[in-house]
Amino acid sequence: MIIKTRDKGEVVIFDIEGEIRRSDLSETTLHELVKDRLESGTRNILFNFEKVEFIDSFGVGEILASYISTHNLGGKFKLARISKKLYLVFQVTMLTKVLEIFDNEESALQSFLTPR
Amino acid sequence: MTEDRISRTLSRIADVRPGESRTALLLFLYFFLITFPAYIVKPVKVSLFFVSFSDRFLPLPYLLTALLIGFVVGLNLKLLRTLPRRRFISLSIAFFIAGFLLFWLLWVVLKVNWNGLSLIYWFWSDAFIATSVTQFWIAVNDVLHPHQAKRLVGFFVSGGLLGGLGGALLAWNLARAIGTENLLLFCPAVLVLTLIVVNLVYADRSAEDDRGAAANSGRGLAGSFEGFHIVRKNRYLLLMAGMLGAGAVVGNLIELQFNTILRWQFPSPDPRTAFLGSFFAALLLISYLVQLFGTGRILRRFGVRAGLIVAPVLLLAGAASIFLFTTASLIVWAVLVKGTDKGLENSLSQSARELLYLPVPADIKYKAKMFLDMFLNKFSTALGALLFFLFYAVLHVGLASISIITIVFLVLWLLLVRLIFGEYLGVVKKDLERRWEDGEKVVAERMDVDSARLVFDTLQSRERSSVLYAMNLFDLVRKDKLTPELREVLAGKNGELRARSMDSLLDVGGESFFAGMEDVLADEEFGTQIKEVLELEAYRNVMGEHLEKAAGEGRESEVERMEAAKLLGMMTPEPRVIRQLDRLLRDPSPDVLNYALESAARLKLKELIPLIVRQLGNPLTCQVARDALAAYGGRILGVLARNLEDPKQDISVRRALPEVLARMGTQRAADALVAELVNGHEEIDPEIIEALYRIRSGTPGVVFKEKRIVPAILTQVRMGFTALLESRPGEAPGSRLAFRIKRVFDLLSLIYPSEDIVKAYQNICRGTRKSIDYSLELLDNVVRKDIKEFLLPLIEDLPPEERIRRCRKLYKALEKKGRDPDLKGGPAFR
Repeated sequence: MIIKTRDKGEVVIFDIEGEIRRSDLSETTLHELVKDRLESGTRNILFNFEKVEFIDSFGVGEILASYISTHNLGGKFKLARISKKLYLVFQVTMLTKVLEIFDNEESALQSFLTPR
Repeated sequence: MTEDRISRTLSRIADVRPGESRTALLLFLYFFLITFPAYIVKPVKVSLFFVSFSDRFLPLPYLLTALLIGFVVGLNLKLLRTLPRRRFISLSIAFFIAGFLLFWLLWVVLKVNWNGLSLIYWFWSDAFIATSVTQFWIAVNDVLHPHQAKRLVGFFVSGGLLGGLGGALLAWNLARAIGTENLLLFCPAVLVLTLIVVNLVYADRSAEDDRGAAANSGRGLAGSFEGFHIVRKNRYLLLMAGMLGAGAVVGNLIELQFNTILRWQFPSPDPRTAFLGSFFAALLLISYLVQLFGTGRILRRFGVRAGLIVAPVLLLAGAASIFLFTTASLIVWAVLVKGTDKGLENSLSQSARELLYLPVPADIKYKAKMFLDMFLNKFSTALGALLFFLFYAVLHVGLASISIITIVFLVLWLLLVRLIFGEYLGVVKKDLERRWEDGEKVVAERMDVDSARLVFDTLQSRERSSVLYAMNLFDLVRKDKLTPELREVLAGKNGELRARSMDSLLDVGGESFFAGMEDVLADEEFGTQIKEVLELEAYRNVMGEHLEKAAGEGRESEVERMEAAKLLGMMTPEPRVIRQLDRLLRDPSPDVLNYALESAARLKLKELIPLIVRQLGNPLTCQVARDALAAYGGRILGVLARNLEDPKQDISVRRALPEVLARMGTQRAADALVAELVNGHEEIDPEIIEALYRIRSGTPGVVFKEKRIVPAILTQVRMGFTALLESRPGEAPGSRLAFRIKRVFDLLSLIYPSEDIVKAYQNICRGTRKSIDYSLELLDNVVRKDIKEFLLPLIEDLPPEERIRRCRKLYKALEKKGRDPDLKGGPAFR
């Protein structure tokens, strides 16, 4: 899994490539990276899933932990460009009830501007 | 002098912050200029009244004022509604300038000798004082935010006290020389200056703002008595009215006693005026000193309640002491008691009372305040006057015995202070709302995390092994989570999926992999059969060998080890199963470990606990290991606590343990976490605090001892100071600080009403200006003073340089306090 970050205004975008799974971990976990950004003052996090093929239960845990850490500090955590296949599984597992998911990056970024 | 220099100079004597100096200085001057003539007017009106009337008629002017002041209130409300604020105040001042000139003309030039004139003048003086003081506070509300006003109120009151001192000194020194009536000429001169200052105060406000304020203050006003209706319907304002009313009755009874004794002591007007001038000057000087060195400190240190309670308690002692004085020495008693009453009224009590208006919405505040300050005050004064007239003039009760009535009202006053304070916090809290729910709660309410993870694992296992896939599906069925939607996904029946030619994860060659298998698995009979097979001795023997091979030294493929790890969780926990699981819990593959940990969670075997604990240190297995340990429940709490406090244990393991304890959510789990927090290992503090907060929100019945939590709070505050003072280059100063503040609030929620603290925290982080004010006010009144004196400068809206200056000072104080082994409330913090 390769993770790159970009800053767009007050939003930090995590571009994730590959599979978020237990057996494919980079040096630092996704949640640890999010926590680092939160600690340096970021409160708006966007995961770009354009190049994410699949995730396992470990990945689900990482996403939810990132959501909780951001949310508890009064921040916003969102996902964008998730594949339809993955979106369907997110729907079945009701992850879509918790996570805000957008078709494209622009609408996701726009949504950060509206109050909670 | 530049704005910067003025600001620095002012900041030495009051909490005036950069950018506020001009407004603060003008409002200070405004209050100075209206109290200056007020303290000329006051001795003059009493002195001239006794030229025409005896002391038995003293209640008369008080009653007259009470009767007629309603018309002044009505006129004020009407003008407030119709005129832009600046014009309203300016016209009002001009009107009083003309009036003072007229009275001087009638008395001094035209030598009018009609007794009624002193009575009319008395009313005129009262109308002037009430109108101008109310207008001043309206101006304060117009140009400052509530929290700014709260900070600067002491400064403004100081201006008023200094102005009064000037007027009283003038009356004292010139009454004998130029005569009482001629003192009136100074009033219009000073009011001309007031006119200029008022226009400068409002200079920065646009005409639209002024018109808006005027419209706002009058919106929905059905008549002059709307203020009364608002107060009547609002319990908080009603209690305030009661408290102010009782205070006014007490104040008036004391004043009537004072003035009566004054008439006995000084039969001639000019010496009487001079004495009153000197009395007011001394009174205001003492008040000023109290205001300068006492009010702010008392309010900051002890809060609004103390500010409200000091006056009635001292007056109770004073009123009761009248029987200890002889008639000749009564003037001493009168000076002491009236001095106490008015001294506190002008300083501490006034500042505290103004703070009570903070939680009142602006739209009703104007109307209620107008009614309370002008109408109710005069009504209560009239009540005092009537009682005095009845008992002193009609029933001929001795002057000393009047104090018994005073005592009755003082007791009522104290009772109302108690009631209003409870209500005050209630009103502040009511205006605060949660900005967001806790993340954990949102997730738990909206989805089943365990099932979601199982679904993802099931989908993944389909890619790797049909055996694993079947076992995972069987799990889903047993948990009743194989919903129709999920079946569609697993069977690849979903049109969306077919259209997209799914890859191997969800579909194989366009056909459902093991089509119909889900239905078989869902069959209850099938579940029973599986269970029976697993319990067969023959099966256990055969499978035991297979598993021995899979989990043993020879090491089969990763997939086979995963299958073995999964299967072991479904079997009866016999020694061989335990041994095999033990081996798999040491496997290098995180995927194998994942299944082994899940199986260990099902079997809940004590022998496996150390191995599960070890997996907490592995970021890939930490999540499942935590679930596994949580599944054991409270019976392993001792083991977990020992691992938590063991300094030799891997730090990652120790960091993961608090969450496991939080999931247990019991008093024992909380105690274990608090014990470790008190022991003090900075590196695991964040996780412990988060866990304690989770226990608090999930199980409100868990009790936390204040003396153990307070040192931890101060430790986090001290770290907050460090984070602020040592911000890394290029880092926003508040970023690391924000985490410290979050932890401070998490800890505060353990010892104070959790919901209130959470709301205060959320509003401070993401609230409106008003809700931030309310949050600070709530903390100011709820949190003990040895915490809030350090915490508030970290969270208040301060300019960066000012915050750093204060925090540096407080950091040193906290360091010193931290070294104190006798720190009140518990062990010294780190």
